[in-house]
Amino acid sequence: MDSPITAPDGDWWSEKINRRESIWLGISGVWALTLFGWMLGWTEFGAQNQTGETYEVSTEALRQKVQTYKQSAGTLTVDGEELLVPAENDVYVGALQWGWDGLPAVLRPGETYRFHLGSYDVQHGFSVRNADNLSQQISLQVLPGYEWVLEMTFDDPGTYHVVCNEFCGEGHRSMHGKFVVQDYDESAVTAPEESENGSGGDADYGGWFTGDAAGGATENYDGTTVDETGADQVTVTVGSDGEGGTAAFDPPAVSVSEGTTVTFEWASNNHNLLVDSQPDGANWGGHEPLENEGFSVEHTFETGGVYAYYCEPHLGIGMKGVVEVV
Amino acid sequence: MFGFSTYEYDSDGFRECNVTGLSIHKSAEDMVKLYGLTAILALAIGGAFAVAVALTRWEAIGLLSAGDFYTYLSVHAWNLLIFWMVFMEIAILYVGGPFVLGRRLSLPRVAKVGWVVMAAGAVLVNAAILLTEYPNQAPLLTSYVPLPSSWQFYLGATVFVLGAIVAAVPFLATLWNHQQENPSKTLPLVTFGAFITSIVALEALLGGLITYVPTLLWRVGYFESIDPAFYRQMYWIIGHGSQQINLLAMITVWYFLTHVVGGAVVASQKVSRAAFVLYLFFINLGAAHHLMSDPVVSAGWRMWNTSYAAYGAVLASMIHAFAIPAGLEVGRRAKGKAGGLFGWLWSSPWDDPGFSATILSIILFGFLGGITGVMMGQMQLNMTWHNTLATVGHFHATVATGTTLAFMGLGYYVLRLVFGRDWSLGLLAKIQPYLYGGAMGLTVLMMMYTGILFGVPRRHPSVMDIPGTAFSFSAAKPFFAVFGVAAILAILGGALFVVVALASLLFGEPFDGGPVGDVQRAAADGGERTDGDGKAAHAYSMRGTFVLCLVFLGAFVTLWALNWYLLSTIWQIGP
Repeated sequence: MDSPITAPDGDWWSEKINRRESIWLGISGVWALTLFGWMLGWTEFGAQNQTGETYEVSTEALRQKVQTYKQSAGTLTVDGEELLVPAENDVYVGALQWGWDGLPAVLRPGETYRFHLGSYDVQHGFSVRNADNLSQQISLQVLPGYEWVLEMTFDDPGTYHVVCNEFCGEGHRSMHGKFVVQDYDESAVTAPEESENGSGGDADYGGWFTGDAAGGATENYDGTTVDETGADQVTVTVGSDGEGGTAAFDPPAVSVSEGTTVTFEWASNNHNLLVDSQPDGANWGGHEPLENEGFSVEHTFETGGVYAYYCEPHLGIGMKGVVEVV
Repeated sequence: MFGFSTYEYDSDGFRECNVTGLSIHKSAEDMVKLYGLTAILALAIGGAFAVAVALTRWEAIGLLSAGDFYTYLSVHAWNLLIFWMVFMEIAILYVGGPFVLGRRLSLPRVAKVGWVVMAAGAVLVNAAILLTEYPNQAPLLTSYVPLPSSWQFYLGATVFVLGAIVAAVPFLATLWNHQQENPSKTLPLVTFGAFITSIVALEALLGGLITYVPTLLWRVGYFESIDPAFYRQMYWIIGHGSQQINLLAMITVWYFLTHVVGGAVVASQKVSRAAFVLYLFFINLGAAHHLMSDPVVSAGWRMWNTSYAAYGAVLASMIHAFAIPAGLEVGRRAKGKAGGLFGWLWSSPWDDPGFSATILSIILFGFLGGITGVMMGQMQLNMTWHNTLATVGHFHATVATGTTLAFMGLGYYVLRLVFGRDWSLGLLAKIQPYLYGGAMGLTVLMMMYTGILFGVPRRHPSVMDIPGTAFSFSAAKPFFAVFGVAAILAILGGALFVVVALASLLFGEPFDGGPVGDVQRAAADGGERTDGDGKAAHAYSMRGTFVLCLVFLGAFVTLWALNWYLLSTIWQIGP
């Protein structure tokens, strides 16, 4: 008999194999074929197959697609929250640090939707679960530069939560989106607005709040600049509700008198302040490190003119602001 | 080396091990000590960081902030999945090659250079992770582009990979010289396993260079960008390939230790070697299962690589799952240490930590790690496993219970047979494999439950509180409580191994080389095709092993069916 640490002598190749060992080899072979056959069969007869077309797409083009989708979508208010109603059966989801552009949406049960999954920046994980039954869950990889089109049909009404399950930077855990599967009456849907891109406002700051400038369009900017001239205490909330998550400045545009100190207060996590443009001679440095809820920073604006600023991680979804010093 | 050893060499630098009968040369033994102790140091570092990681995911404690969590997790992953494993694997190559063949280590200087380069890479990776500064991010294990990690990290990873390639060269040179001198001789099974391990390892390490060199060039500005789909496919050559090295090294250790401590023989040379050859051709292709839920590879590519390729490797694993216990059963029946169906098992030396660690490694690897690996490697099931905590459960079952226990078992015998020190803290050494294996097994089960039943994602410092939403995974809380306690016990069990190892090195009695386990002389029958009664291995009954394997198959089929049932409850996806 052979030890495993000595060289076997003689003709070991033709030595007989124990009958039970041979039977086990047969069982193992049959089992491997069964595994393979079942997987193949499921593509024909099973209802869950993560197969669909993939397109190469630049992150900029994808952003445009999601923007177009959002503009063409109606809205429906469910439990006080405005949800997008897709115009067609295409649902666009753009993943970004750290949010899901194109969500929240409302979808009809039993209807087949084509999900277009892509990323604006780094890799993300599209991880969806039914809130009423957490084991109904799937995860799909989302890569920048690619758009994956997958059909999905939801039979069970309810809320489906989307979290990111691929590490995408410091704010990874805060990345949350959702869609609601429920029947709705067409008459309750608010039609999409015809005019977009900040037109009709009092001031447009060189188009800074539109999608033509850097990043996405700023949705919570309705064309009005909040007038705080003369006030000694002015506060701007960083990361208040808006822009499909907690990524908005509130108010997005504010006018103050020269010498006013403006306090920026963080209401949610992972935001910073970067200055896009400011008057000649002004030296506002913004605040580059990412900060979390509870943080605040202030700056005294001495030089008159328009200061355009943004949050770096959320520029893509239009987290932009203006301080106008008069 | 190190002055801990109690053994003396003859004038040629050889000594005979009176347990295994092997003729061991100082050049090889020094390097086994060097690489083995470095591995244990990495185990201690990675284990220390595991404390913080586990206490964060157990949110009742919630130790670390998000930023620190990702950093600590990266250090934990790199030290345990890579450094502990690869340093130990080089030691295993030097045991499987020069030790078993009774030769000097060829090119001993190259082995030293390899160690220096590997150690430099490991230190650089650790430093780069700990000193990560915005806009760079903690790399975790995968460092997926385009999320940037520091260029120093990619440099460290590249250097480490190069070092490991250099360290494998003396092993291959030893084999080359052996074959030149003995062209018609068959390699011993353990050496053959180590050889296949080295080939699989070289494939993985070359994948590492294809991954890290372009990424390093990207980080220093030479390339503008790297396609994330390209990166993922290249990365997983080393990302999973490195874990295949663990698998092969572990199986080689299983053959070695069941023989040395339990008296196992080779049930069938042909079958066991054929299984290793199956690994050689198929196992690295199985790494494709990381891309099952990816957008860029086609369904055909995914099915092809996880069916023909993975099942070639699955088949090999199922063969070893039979062959290793069968070898033990036959060896013990032949030595009259068995009766009935399982007498060979009951009579085994369960109080020998080298033996118990090996057997626990086999059982936990098979039932927890192997089965789940096949589940998540099926394309459609992968959607429910991908990037959940269940995935983390899978690779803790394979690496943290399977491979780590096997390497601990080997570590116990390196202390005795290489350093010549018997185990200090006798009782603690005896219970250590049970404490570590049991607690880690429970930890792993909790990870799988939370991942599959609740969809809890991996790589999250907190899932009970997602900022900006009322949604949370609080339903999984009871499982996390068990997870937390079990994880701490497992870490204590791991720490106990390091303590026993250090205490034995420093204060251990000289090991007198007496019988180990309950076998008088493990290599007793070496070389003969039949034993004293003219009976060959295949003529002995393997019925106990057969029953155990049927139990395993039953668990396999049951878990497989349950997973497909869960998948079938999900909404319709795809055409």
